Amino acid sequence: MEVGTKRPGALKGALGLCFFLLLVPAVVLAQPDPYEILASATREANSGDIEGALQTYLKVPAPEPGEDGGAFVRSRMEAAKICFSVADYEQSEALCREILGLFPENLEAGNLIKQVAVAQTPRWLRFLKDMGTYFPTLLRASGMTILLVLITMVVSPVAGLFIALARISRIRSISWFFWCYIWVFRGTPLLLQLFFIYYGLPPLGITLSPFTAAVLGLGLNYSAYLAEIMRGAIESIDAGQMEAAKSLGMTYRQAMRRIIVPQTYKRLVPPVGNEFIALIKDTALVSTIAMVELMRAADQIFNTTFNIFILVQAAMIYLVMTSIFTISFRRLEDRLGVYENR
Amino acid sequence: MIELVDVVKRYNDFTAVDHVSLKIDKGEKIVIIGPSGSGKTTLLRMINFLETIDSGRVLLEGREAGYRRDKKGRLVMDKQDVICELRSEIGMVFQHFHLFPHMTALHNVMEGPVTVKKQSRGEARRVALDLLGKVGLLDKKDTYPAFLSGGQKQRVAIARALAMKPMLMLFDEPTSALDPELVGEVFTTIKQLAEEGMTMVIVTHQMGFAREMADRVIFMDEGRFILEGVPGDVFSHSMENARVKAFLDKVL
Repeated sequence: MEVGTKRPGALKGALGLCFFLLLVPAVVLAQPDPYEILASATREANSGDIEGALQTYLKVPAPEPGEDGGAFVRSRMEAAKICFSVADYEQSEALCREILGLFPENLEAGNLIKQVAVAQTPRWLRFLKDMGTYFPTLLRASGMTILLVLITMVVSPVAGLFIALARISRIRSISWFFWCYIWVFRGTPLLLQLFFIYYGLPPLGITLSPFTAAVLGLGLNYSAYLAEIMRGAIESIDAGQMEAAKSLGMTYRQAMRRIIVPQTYKRLVPPVGNEFIALIKDTALVSTIAMVELMRAADQIFNTTFNIFILVQAAMIYLVMTSIFTISFRRLEDRLGVYENR
Repeated sequence: MIELVDVVKRYNDFTAVDHVSLKIDKGEKIVIIGPSGSGKTTLLRMINFLETIDSGRVLLEGREAGYRRDKKGRLVMDKQDVICELRSEIGMVFQHFHLFPHMTALHNVMEGPVTVKKQSRGEARRVALDLLGKVGLLDKKDTYPAFLSGGQKQRVAIARALAMKPMLMLFDEPTSALDPELVGEVFTTIKQLAEEGMTMVIVTHQMGFAREMADRVIFMDEGRFILEGVPGDVFSHSMENARVKAFLDKVL
């Protein structure tokens, strides 16, 4: 007992040390290792117990200041993702905010909050936003559609008139040649004609830009149609008109220019108007030869967004264009008909 | 002035005009009557080359005009500018008017001088207004044909032909398409023209033309002249010819 009597302080100290040595591990063991929890939660998640994993993730305590927060951030992030995946956006966002409270710089949490915001936006609103985003692109592409329509609208009636006059010409070879022309261009699909001009001519040594090919294809095709309409209109004018013109001493050309052709204008408006409306829609075909116009732009955007409303939007732009045409041709017809008694 | 010599016109195996000769003198008024299909309209249209002749000759002031012979010796119409030149000297009024519907009355009358004679619009306008006044339609100058009555249309058509200052006027049944109450105004207009000394050939069913203004009446049937003479003679001799009598009985 000498030792005991001799060194009571030492004993006390030893006891204190023992206590300390026992207590600290006890406390440490009672406070489970965050990484251990993270690992077990991950195992649960991998085994398919998502609900259990979520609960376990949430057991990871927030680190004290200065402590390592790795396990905490990871576990809250995983929990937030689980919440996101089951559409519990509120909880998901709350967890992300918890991370950001301690680590404001955390990118992953910030991004997930943005995704939560997007996910919470109603579908229709998201579509609307897409439409707003891509509308300028569609409008710009419509410019090309309009340009193609306008060029064809100027070229094909002029060409059509000359072809119509050539068709009723008494010179057989000219009439026959244009009969063949009309036969081919009215009798085959416009799509095929465009393909032929764009892909079929280069091997023959003629390479055209998509724009030139598109203008050429539309122009040739529509000239053929308009020529037939105009020929019909010219032939529908009473033969007496030509006789009256001749009796005044007019040449055939003068009679055509001054008397016959001007009388066809009003009769031409409805069928030609129809053709031009068809033309607006037919320009969509040139998207197949690498021309970026309204249809192609809409198609490309649709293929990245899968937003059907982009197509609706394109449809609406087409409708606006065709409506403007319909109304204008109606007005034009009325104006050209002033000399008629109705 | 103009003479058709032994002219023939056939459509396939139907002979519309069968070896007919007609001499028109300056200032003369000739009225041709006869049943439908007798060839009188065809004859009239030959005079201004709206109809080609198959054989015979057309003489203008004694010289052959409007036709030449091709390599095979067939008659073909002359080049377009020659024919147009000839036609511009001969006015024609149609049964169905054939006014230009897309032009006002005034522009209908101006059209010939402006387009064919290359007259200035101002000059053509002056002449046209003058002529519209003459046919009594000055107030309708800005009216489109669709808004005119048949009689008014025909008077505009007469003014249109006169605007070319023709040496000869051809009338192809000018009153046949008109309602009876509108015949008078057109008749009066043509009569007035006759009194001014215009040379004219009138194809008609209207006996009034024959009685009141004809220097010579020709009765045609089956492509031939079967009776020709001053009105009094034709009407008094008509009873001797069964076909003429039958026709006149019908139209009078």
